[in-house]
Amino acid sequence: MTTLTLKVNGNDISREIEDRTSLADFLREDCGLTATHLGCEHGACGACSVLVDDRLTRSCLKFAVMCEGANVQTLEGFGTDPLMHALREAFHEAHALQCGFCTTGMLITARDLLARIPNPTEAIIRDALAGNICRCTGYAGIVHAIELAATKLAPEKA
Amino acid sequence: MKPAPFAYQRPSDLEAALAALAARQDSASLIAGGQSLVPLLNLRMTLCDALIDLGAIAELRATRDMGARIFIGAGVTHAMIEDGLVPDASNGLMRKAAAHIAYRAVRCHGTIGGSVAMADPAADWPCVLLALGATALLRGPAGDRIVDMDALLVGTYETSLQPGEIILGFEIDRLPTSARTAYVKSNRKTGAFATSLAVAVKTDTFARVTLGAASTRARILQATSAALAAGQDLATLEPIIARDVTSIMPQPDAYLQNLHETCVRRAIAEVLA
Amino acid sequence: MGADAHSSDGWIGASLLRKEDARHLAGKAMFVADVRLPGMQDIAFARSQIAHGRLNGVSKPSGYEAQVFTIDDFSSLQVLEAGPELDAFRQSPYPALASGKVRYVGQAVAACVAPTRARAEDIADLVAIDCDELPAVVDAIAAMSPTSARLFEGWPDNAYITRTIGAGEIPLMKDAPVRLHRKFRMNRQATVSLETRGCVAYWDARLDELLVYLSTQGGHVMRLGLARALGLPENQIRVIAPDVGGGFGGKNRLLPEEIAVCAIALKVDHPVRWIEDRREHLLASVHCRDHHYDLTICAERDGTIIGIEGDVHIDAGAYALWPTGSFMEASMAAGNLPGPYRVRALNVNTYTVATNKAPMGPYRGVARPGACFAIERLVDELALHLGVEPYALRKLNLVTREEMPYTTIAGLKLDTGDYHDALDTAAKMVDIAAIRSRQSARKPGEKRIGVGFAVYTEQSGHGVVEWSKRKSRVVPGYEAANVRMLPDGSVNIHVGVQNHGQGHETTLAQIAAHELGLHPAQIKIRYGDTATTPFGFGTFASRSIVFAGGAVGTTSRKLAEKIRLIGAHLLQADPKSVHIDNGTVVSGAGSVSFSEIALAANVRQEMLPAGMEPTLEMTGTYEPKESAGVFSYGAHAVIVSVDEDTGRVEILDYAVAEDCGTMINPMIVDGQVQGGIAQGIGTGLFEEIPFDAAGQPLATTFADYIMPCATEVPSVRIAHSTTPALVTEYGVKGVGEGGAIAPPAALANAVADAFRDCKASFNETPLTPRRIWEAAQAARGTAP
Repeated sequence: MTTLTLKVNGNDISREIEDRTSLADFLREDCGLTATHLGCEHGACGACSVLVDDRLTRSCLKFAVMCEGANVQTLEGFGTDPLMHALREAFHEAHALQCGFCTTGMLITARDLLARIPNPTEAIIRDALAGNICRCTGYAGIVHAIELAATKLAPEKA
Repeated sequence: MKPAPFAYQRPSDLEAALAALAARQDSASLIAGGQSLVPLLNLRMTLCDALIDLGAIAELRATRDMGARIFIGAGVTHAMIEDGLVPDASNGLMRKAAAHIAYRAVRCHGTIGGSVAMADPAADWPCVLLALGATALLRGPAGDRIVDMDALLVGTYETSLQPGEIILGFEIDRLPTSARTAYVKSNRKTGAFATSLAVAVKTDTFARVTLGAASTRARILQATSAALAAGQDLATLEPIIARDVTSIMPQPDAYLQNLHETCVRRAIAEVLA
Repeated sequence: MGADAHSSDGWIGASLLRKEDARHLAGKAMFVADVRLPGMQDIAFARSQIAHGRLNGVSKPSGYEAQVFTIDDFSSLQVLEAGPELDAFRQSPYPALASGKVRYVGQAVAACVAPTRARAEDIADLVAIDCDELPAVVDAIAAMSPTSARLFEGWPDNAYITRTIGAGEIPLMKDAPVRLHRKFRMNRQATVSLETRGCVAYWDARLDELLVYLSTQGGHVMRLGLARALGLPENQIRVIAPDVGGGFGGKNRLLPEEIAVCAIALKVDHPVRWIEDRREHLLASVHCRDHHYDLTICAERDGTIIGIEGDVHIDAGAYALWPTGSFMEASMAAGNLPGPYRVRALNVNTYTVATNKAPMGPYRGVARPGACFAIERLVDELALHLGVEPYALRKLNLVTREEMPYTTIAGLKLDTGDYHDALDTAAKMVDIAAIRSRQSARKPGEKRIGVGFAVYTEQSGHGVVEWSKRKSRVVPGYEAANVRMLPDGSVNIHVGVQNHGQGHETTLAQIAAHELGLHPAQIKIRYGDTATTPFGFGTFASRSIVFAGGAVGTTSRKLAEKIRLIGAHLLQADPKSVHIDNGTVVSGAGSVSFSEIALAANVRQEMLPAGMEPTLEMTGTYEPKESAGVFSYGAHAVIVSVDEDTGRVEILDYAVAEDCGTMINPMIVDGQVQGGIAQGIGTGLFEEIPFDAAGQPLATTFADYIMPCATEVPSVRIAHSTTPALVTEYGVKGVGEGGAIAPPAALANAVADAFRDCKASFNETPLTPRRIWEAAQAARGTAP
């Protein structure tokens, strides 16, 4: 057992946890933040994506103890973030979700993309999503939603 | 799909990491980004008593530009290389390779040293560093030593790292600006491990062609490299490539033989273009 | 389109944005794994490591005896009879935990309970399973050899059932001018909902019932099975399916782990939870496809199809799953072989074979992707053989609009539509002539280009007639809706289907809004709780919009009539002179709002017409006027490039012309088409669980089981035409499965087209780079 101290969605958290607890399980089971979904637990589906110190992270591929002192952001923690707001709107408008299970990971991955590359081409968007599995939509709506969000955000950048 | 229990340490400097490793000997695994190791632990396909996390050691993320050579710390992530945040001696080859490793989330955490230490036969860095003629700087109980990539890579998930040793980083000779490089990967889908991976580097004085995913480890195609350095054209090289590929494949497989030859041929065509 | 946009016809046909999106986008959905209960403990299963063996015993690790359960701990558990109710269908009793034998790698043998999943897995690792290994049966065709090892003692061979499906002028085939023989194989895969299966259960002492949170496509039917297995009355089991993260058929069977979890919940004094992990999903959840065809197509010299004969083997795995097993797979595969074509004779022997693999269940398209692959490949092979365009051969044989309704040789009644128009539209979208000129201009070393077509039909909305023909144990011949207007005029509708991505909260609200004259925002659709919803069968077989849509529509219509009568009474108007308009009942210049009417009906009964029953609540069931089904259809056209040195396929363009009758929400229809095609691309190019000779599955993680992602699935161009069904409400037809049916066939035809100069044949899915390269090599006479 290790006492882990870190920031989750802006809140200071200190918990005693088993060393083998994944960041995903820590967030879900210890912090009650269930927006982070587990779809494979071996880093291949992207459903558990979160940001750790602003870096896109598969929370199933990190043990929570490796995040000592880190700043972790889950889908619950984006508040009024304009990028996430635009993406949420665009996902709704472009029918970018069906069952919703992959959606949190898609949103966080898409936000990471737009934060780095504000006006991505379709090819760049698809490449950025290459490790996120959606079993329902066939991706067309998701790709379109990210294009839509980028377009909406463009004037603010100008 | 949860890992078996293990002890965990997070040393804050190299000295402490070496001490922790020495204390644990064989029962400990080093973990850096964890992007390859954690899935194996989650699946309980790999077991370890203790994990020593190198993530807090800033020293391992150091990079140095020494003019004729650069040094890249073992803890540098694929994303740092992809994003051009570290010096480049490879005329962009490393940046290109980095961008094709798995997925962005994995690249944000996976490290170059971790990839080499893991020694997956299909991994990108062993193949690329081998083609660049890089050397690895190691630190262990007996002090520091420098090994060629070819000597470091031993077999499937196997390196010549000695008990208690840590990879500090890699020294890479700067390629002349006229040097040509190519990186050709064939895989089932974007981000998946390579089914075949060919890297070619050619300067006016030497050439090195390496092949990954074909054998237990990335290999230099010796005859091919020599013939390429000697200025042979692609048509002349083709039978040499075929023989080199055959010689490193563990068993005959017509499809893979052709696939590896194809990737090598394409890499060479690119450096000859 | 925004929330206020709707067609002049009202809400039917409006691309209303989905009501269910908000909670998912906020991260506030609740899937089974998100359920939090005090004292909840996790379950992990110890599973068989071998494919086939006699189980001598299971040793519980010392110190953990109370936390480990084997079948011996559940003496009263009943094994459910599964499969169709046919004497010829042999029983394969599937216990909740292995008993006597293990029959596939991954079969659950013991359940281990601990405060966390990790610790439960620690215990599971310590469970010792003592087995004598038996020869594994891994090849469905070899399994029918008299010398094959048997899965079930007492069976004369390894077939669950063997049936010949024959009809029409069978003797014509023997001397047909053209007889072309081909073998096809669609390999085994998994259903891969991104949310795996999961179950949380505990005994609720206050309600004196077992509360089960289950990730399922149909809670009511699962309760029926659970009650029988557990020996509990159904009113002591409540099944809640919260948000369900995809099903695709895989969550429409009651699996042994779910029974085991519930049985454990009855023995312990705390909630228990089992969340399937991905390896378990690939190992032991519902497997699918695994079709083997050995067929001869018989035709006239001009390409007119005469008939199809041969064998179909379905590798059905080790057990029949409750309720209906996998028998449908064989009968539907054979029955759909004629596809949308005029076929005069059919003579197919079907074998549903038990093997030492995980049991087969339904998966989007059930059997039809295999049948479509076989017939559409045969059509292309026939065209190649005769030297005609595959498109032209299709045109020659497709059933015409004038022939509708057309009963196929297998007895399916193709009701409405224009198949020729669909094919023509798809062909125009891809421009065959342009492809042909690109092909002839190709230089050596360039990638090959090919175009492929596949036409499919999709039976949906089938009820009593069809399901009783199939001897189904559960006959999903209706759906029910409970429509309730609350005193303030807002509406709750409870349905027995299960939304798991289909958008029912939106589309069913659109239907109710259309009937009630309300905005969909005022209507809430509720489902997924056996305690609150009327009995229903759940969501599968492309049935929900037909059945639940019909039930919501017809019941809302009846409620609207009552509302109208109360409104007329309150307005003191002649009922004949009033009508409903936008939440009010109107009589000339006067009007009364639904809220006033609902208040009267629910809490001010003195205001009701004399003798009228209070409340505004009605429950109704619905079945289409004819229950043999209505057929959606479409034509897929795909252009691929093939790198002949690596065997890699890239999809350059994918076009679909489809007709699913009236669309309630075109945006959602497009989503179903695009999503179905993505899964069809998975079947066609990527997804496969191979087995070695010992029955070990070789793809148990996503490293080996390749899932198509955004880089592999293109955005599909979709053209709709609308031929309303004649026997359903609003003329709707189902659309959920169609997208998944045609892609394997269209892709294989496109790849074959790319190699038409050397006549390479691509007859096995997924079309991996290796298979493509090897088939091309074989055609060139340089066998690999």
